[in-house]
Amino acid sequence: MSAAATLPTSWRERLFGTPATTVVTLLLAAAIAWIAVPIIRWALIDATWSGQTRNDCAGTGACWVFVKARFGQFMYGFYPVDERWRPNLAGILFALSGAAIVLAPKQLKLRLGLAALVILPFLGVWLLAGGFGLRAIETREWGGLMLTVFISIYASLIAIPLGILLALGRQSELKVVKLISVLFIEFWRGVPIIAVIFLASLLLPLIMPSGIGVDRLARAVIGLGFCIAAYMAEAVRGGLQALPKGQREAATALGLSYWKATWFIILPQALRISLPAITNEFIALVKNTTLVLVVSILDLLGIAQASLADPNWVGMNMEAYVFSGGIYWLICFALSRWSRSLETKRGR
Amino acid sequence: MSKAFAFINDKRVRDVFYQAALLIGLAALLVYFIRNASQNMVQAGIASGFNFLWRTSGIEVPFVLTGYTQSDNILSLFWAGVANTLLVTVIALVLSTALGFLIGIARLSSIWLVQAIAGAYVEFVRNIPLLFFVLFWYFGVIAALPAPRESLSVFGVAFLNNRGLTIPLPDAGANLKYAFIAIAISCLLHWLFLRWARRRKEATGRDAPILRVGLVLLLLIPVLALTWASLATRWDIPVLRGFNYRGGFVVIPEFVALLAALVTYTAGFIAEIVRGGIQSVPHGQIEASSALGLRPGQTLRLVTIPQALRVMTPPMTNQYLNVLKNSSFGAAIAYPDVVSLFMGSALTNTGQAIEIIAMTLALYLVIGLAVSAFMNWYNARIALVTR
Repeated sequence: MSAAATLPTSWRERLFGTPATTVVTLLLAAAIAWIAVPIIRWALIDATWSGQTRNDCAGTGACWVFVKARFGQFMYGFYPVDERWRPNLAGILFALSGAAIVLAPKQLKLRLGLAALVILPFLGVWLLAGGFGLRAIETREWGGLMLTVFISIYASLIAIPLGILLALGRQSELKVVKLISVLFIEFWRGVPIIAVIFLASLLLPLIMPSGIGVDRLARAVIGLGFCIAAYMAEAVRGGLQALPKGQREAATALGLSYWKATWFIILPQALRISLPAITNEFIALVKNTTLVLVVSILDLLGIAQASLADPNWVGMNMEAYVFSGGIYWLICFALSRWSRSLETKRGR
Repeated sequence: MSKAFAFINDKRVRDVFYQAALLIGLAALLVYFIRNASQNMVQAGIASGFNFLWRTSGIEVPFVLTGYTQSDNILSLFWAGVANTLLVTVIALVLSTALGFLIGIARLSSIWLVQAIAGAYVEFVRNIPLLFFVLFWYFGVIAALPAPRESLSVFGVAFLNNRGLTIPLPDAGANLKYAFIAIAISCLLHWLFLRWARRRKEATGRDAPILRVGLVLLLLIPVLALTWASLATRWDIPVLRGFNYRGGFVVIPEFVALLAALVTYTAGFIAEIVRGGIQSVPHGQIEASSALGLRPGQTLRLVTIPQALRVMTPPMTNQYLNVLKNSSFGAAIAYPDVVSLFMGSALTNTGQAIEIIAMTLALYLVIGLAVSAFMNWYNARIALVTR
């Protein structure tokens, strides 16, 4: 049954080992050619690559002119063109600090990480939204891939700390704390995320004192963050459960308080174990950001969908879907490969 | 510190204190939110309570199973939505399990190309958002189907076009009802027979003709009953009149697109669960069973699958619950499920946000709890008994 272990190594054996294998291989190869050749012709050979307008689209293939003309919108939505350096700068800052934390010597990592965690989120919001010297740009003008990345990062800024607290709460000896954590986790895991986004967009303005508005993008981020926190909590719980009980007992015996033991002994080990699971939840989050479409927030998929209604570019459905789907696939595939490499590293 | 306050160093006292503080804090937050909400609702002139459920809904639903019409009340609208949610969920569950098993087993095939194609499929669907598939099937595939005049015909009785799938509908359900009763009875008989066969095997060691009786009870009788019922019933077969089909039952394109998206997406996840489950069975088990003289088919049925099922049941439960929750993605293409009918249309018409949200979430929680209770019962039944 575990065929992967007994698979022959040479290509000839793999493809044409036995008569039955040969027949199946040939049939499947024909089927692949039958499907793949028209797709390749459409996407590459018969495709139009250069031009500016719909009229430049010639032939039977894909018209990538459309993606080229709309590239700015796919990336930034309706963010003003001359202010696009701001999301770019925010992205570069996030990426640079990520690299700095990874490359920093071990003793500095934690401090650098915490500093980035305190400073960067506010810096990011300021750069994107403006105010204090920058032109204010309302969230309804944000969109595209930029918004997908923004929602993913900010929802996980809510989800990861809250998820860790909930996981600790679920493991707690205090009955009330445990009960509240279990109820919270099971509630958010039990309801559809699309309903949560509706819930957040309808309920948050209702439960706030009148006069205090909550930005509709913030509502979606909070809703998604709470939902993902419940899933994160289960991922972290896996790490906590994998730790031998002796770790906490030893820490207590050394005289460390609950929080000190948790912060210095338990969490560093548990988080390292659950990092692959946390990454998988993050992939799910990236995929679920697309649901903000139902409250008319246009992330990458939303922009692709909205672009189909443009009368200047009628019939560009496939191009829009292939382009946006390809970006989602690249992001999620890279993340899942990373998560798998973490798993194998730990497995050794 | 004086002795009178020494009790604050007692762990039990502190534990009680922390928990009380947490409860009071949460209660205060809740009271604050409720106060704001009631003030806001008074300002907006919204009456609270569930009386709105008995008002006439006036909302037209394009796809109903329950016989709801727009002159019925809002509660009926809710049930129409629930029925649509359950319909798409159940069909998607069955189809994605079948497709998932097929792909999962293909990933373990000894033929490299089969393995590679199954692997590529899994990597493809798992790394793309489900909403993408829903939109793609709806706006990319179904919308690109031919118009009713050039429909794709399925054996001349069902027709697929850009307005959905038109299928024949039985005129009167009486004969079909008898057929279903007959099938239910034969399933019951089969269950009783299996129980009797197991008892006799434990008592006397003799085998019963399980396969032959099973074929008759689970295959022959249902096939005969259904054939008789469909021949004895008059069917309303769709016919092209003018620009569209008349007669039959129209499965709306939203349903077709949502179902296709759910099945193709979920199958990728189920395939991985199946593969993991089968690979988790130690190779020694298979070697041992062939050393005992079991044939490969017997090994699979008696050794591999029972052990793989134990590993597979908990993650499969999660996937089944995901299908239930993900059926709400239909709201993005206006499939009339409970979220889009109730949290969408009914909420816009009545403004009763809190009641409607509470009912919808409670519904999902109740169904979810029921499914996981059933799967837990099943899991406990097949779990390894260590004596």
